Amino acid sequence: MRNVLLIISYTLRESFARKVFIFFFGISCFSLIITGLIFGLADTESILNSFFRSTENLSGNIVMMIEFTIVSPLASLGLLLSIFSASSFIPVLLEKGNIDLFLSKPLSRPQLILGKYFGGLLVVFINIAFLVLGIWIIISWKFSYWNPDFLWTIATITFTFAVLYSLIVFFGIITRGSLLGMMTAYFIFIILSPLLHAFVEQFSGFIKNGMIKKVAEILYYIIPKTSELMGKINLDIAQGKGIADFQPVISSFLFLILMLLFSIFLFQKKDF
Amino acid sequence: MAMNSIEIRGLTKIYSSGIRKKTVQALVDLTLLIERGIIFGLLGPNGAGKTTLVKILLGITFPSAGDAKILNEEISNYHVKTKVGYLPENHRYPPYLTGGEVLRFFGRLSGVSGIHLEKKIDELLELVKLSNWKKAKVKTYSKGMMQRLGLAQALINDPELIFLDEPTDGVDPLGRKEIREILVELKNKSKTIFLNSHLLSEVELISDRVGILNKGRLIREGTVTELTEKKEEYVIKLEAGSGEDFLKALNFSRVKEDSYFVRVSDTFELNKLIDRIRTHGIVIKEIIKQKASLEEMFISLITEAEKEERK
Repeated sequence: MRNVLLIISYTLRESFARKVFIFFFGISCFSLIITGLIFGLADTESILNSFFRSTENLSGNIVMMIEFTIVSPLASLGLLLSIFSASSFIPVLLEKGNIDLFLSKPLSRPQLILGKYFGGLLVVFINIAFLVLGIWIIISWKFSYWNPDFLWTIATITFTFAVLYSLIVFFGIITRGSLLGMMTAYFIFIILSPLLHAFVEQFSGFIKNGMIKKVAEILYYIIPKTSELMGKINLDIAQGKGIADFQPVISSFLFLILMLLFSIFLFQKKDF
Repeated sequence: MAMNSIEIRGLTKIYSSGIRKKTVQALVDLTLLIERGIIFGLLGPNGAGKTTLVKILLGITFPSAGDAKILNEEISNYHVKTKVGYLPENHRYPPYLTGGEVLRFFGRLSGVSGIHLEKKIDELLELVKLSNWKKAKVKTYSKGMMQRLGLAQALINDPELIFLDEPTDGVDPLGRKEIREILVELKNKSKTIFLNSHLLSEVELISDRVGILNKGRLIREGTVTELTEKKEEYVIKLEAGSGEDFLKALNFSRVKEDSYFVRVSDTFELNKLIDRIRTHGIVIKEIIKQKASLEEMFISLITEAEKEERK
């Protein structure tokens, strides 16, 4: 455990030395300042009253929707930046002259990989938490409505990154490079997951070809469901409704575990 | 019987690469025992398998066959590495860390912590003459400074066994001498040092035993004296001006004033020659057994091995 914690702290230090995380942090700060300025200047209460004749509950939902509307695109951008930055953690570790040093120390290979994995995760968690918490404080303070459920979005966004990061670690170990892992993660996050989700939810009835239908369904269950995690599940949790369907969470979590196990298995056997 | 720091039995490493799985034998059935408390120098041309051997002993690469122990533990047991130090060839430290931070991080990874670690960091930076650079980022270090920091890193956990891969690479002559002195000092503290180096003169100066590796095979192993000794070749020094004509008649060749070279088939023949010289009233001042330099011996061994291979 001590070794894993050491590698986590080292990864944290490594990430602070990288400009992408500072850029992410800068965007978060800038977003918080802009949000603060807008909501500081606007007379939001009269807007709410005139448009919605708000009851307490209705204004609560609206506040949450405002928070979510601001956080959602920023979190997606943050996730894209995090994937970009974290994708090089493993390839840098595996560079000649660097990996030799780590493996010559009294720590096991799984400890090294898990340390790097959780280190990357912690960095993203800190960044996301800073952004979400900041926006939540500004808006809740402005509307005098405090909905702690919204903070669960920190967990959902971090979990989404955790799933994609396991894939990046896996490809990082196989290729010793960052490109394939990064591209695959982007492909799943931006294209494949939303497409498969839309297919299963809306279009599967229109497809007549049984073979295509079957392949799409199998793919849907295998590929991590980042679209649902960042969309419906995130929104439901933020509203305090809880998770209606655990399937996307469980199947994505299983994907994460499998990717990590494969990564450790491959890393255990690799010569450096 | 002396305890061994390293025990290698029948170690073989085959690398395969590409779609056709083209294989390269990096180590072939290598067996070697290295006693505790000595400096062992491993020599060999590029690609001989020196680094592969060290990497297998440290669990960085896995053997294809055979087994090995370090400090009496199987190499698969990573806990033994708390007592091992390693300076890899072309090591890379994170450029954003300072020299002190590098030592602190790798010290912690090696199981050292607290005040003891801080004391050790200062002590080692002093030893490798980098005390003034403790707070400087390693990206500002020169190649020689990086090597010295690497040496400090290898010693941070006060190891019993130290692997050094080209430790003086990029270090100036004075720095090399200092590193040699550190290594001898470590040996005097009963540490075992496994030295991989291209610099034969350096290995010759400090190693107690030397192994020569060529194409994955250990072709010679022994003390520097054993390896460099020329069989039955002597220089005989005489009292000034005595017996020159007599020695020439016996096929001695003159190498210097009053010094003559002779090659004999065995010690018995040498004794017979000495008797003849002595009965002739010539005074012998010194008989010196001839030695080759490690470099001469190395080149001749590798050339011989290559000739054998071509046959």
